[in-house]
Amino acid sequence: MRRVEHVMGFPVSLRVDDEGIGDEVADALFAWLREVDARFSPFRPDSEVCRYDRGELRLRDLSADLTEVLDLCEQYRVATGGAFDVRLPGRPLDPCAVVKGWSVQRAAELLTAAGARRFILNAGGDVVVAGGPWRVGVRHPEYADQLCTVLELTDGAVATSARYERGDHIVDGRTGTPATGLLSVSVVAASLTEADATATAAFAMGPEGVDWAAARPGCEVFAVDAERRVRRTPGFPAATVAA
Amino acid sequence: MKRVIPVLVLSVAGLIPVWRYEPSIGTTTSTTTTTEAVSTPTPTATSSSSSGSSSTPSASSKKVVQGTAINTSKGTVQVQVTFEGDKISSVSMLQQPDHPQTTAAVPVLIEETLKAQSSKIDTVSGATITSDAYVQSLQAAIDAKGA
Repeated sequence: MRRVEHVMGFPVSLRVDDEGIGDEVADALFAWLREVDARFSPFRPDSEVCRYDRGELRLRDLSADLTEVLDLCEQYRVATGGAFDVRLPGRPLDPCAVVKGWSVQRAAELLTAAGARRFILNAGGDVVVAGGPWRVGVRHPEYADQLCTVLELTDGAVATSARYERGDHIVDGRTGTPATGLLSVSVVAASLTEADATATAAFAMGPEGVDWAAARPGCEVFAVDAERRVRRTPGFPAATVAA
Repeated sequence: MKRVIPVLVLSVAGLIPVWRYEPSIGTTTSTTTTTEAVSTPTPTATSSSSSGSSSTPSASSKKVVQGTAINTSKGTVQVQVTFEGDKISSVSMLQQPDHPQTTAAVPVLIEETLKAQSSKIDTVSGATITSDAYVQSLQAAIDAKGA
């Protein structure tokens, strides 16, 4: 079963190889992602995030989900010395960097709960897989139709933060300026919540973020710096055999 | 430097049983201390006799001695000392605290040159945010092929 839908502002591709996992499972998955968009989008004035940001909701009034997301945001802000910050001066509260990984990981857990054992869920380039081995290409930072590495992943997640396409969109919260020290950072972790937030945070930190991400338990890193040098952890699961 | 000092102190502490142990051997080799002293079989001319039972170390053979494990607030420390004759040839840590202050938290990263490749893949990591970019992306090709 395959499905592609545009939701939360990016294309989400789903492939489930298990027999008996039908459209109703995909429907529930995409309904969850649309619900997340409605509740947590900083671009929808009636979202819980915007209402909280405007002071219409107090912290204790927030849903358990948003409380969890904001807690995660705070953990990464502290862990990065402020480089990762969802509250930049003069800008609305924007927890997207955590919401994306967190919500897509939840979506993958919906699949698992429905009995899916072998699937790929790709949300705008952030990937959760199960029942592999799967070959996951990492987009080349300069050539959209090329890869800079291929990894083999059986169960787990990989997220890539990069400058391509959206340009300098990730801001280093310590300086308030766009992060430009890296071209691309990919992080492999057990969950997309960890992989995506760690990749974004490392990108915001710049070159030192590569070491920071590499030191996080359970994270494997592949990074390309502004001088086009690759730095990766020894355990990064690069595919050994070309197909 | 603050880390070095306790490690040195603990290394010395680990050596104390070794020093205590030495006089007990006396000047002759003993066969009753094999629980602490492990002889390393060395193919020297003196030990290659066919008479077997060459477990008794000669005065010039290597001897490996393990210090006692010492519990510290940071974890267990245990050293191993290798003697050649009556000289220490090496000291190594058998156990050391698995503590962030004393272990290197950052793995040594591997540096490579950036390569461009195309390969058979199941999916692509790397943001394809806008629909224009998606249409042109490898992921779109994969989705179209599988649909």
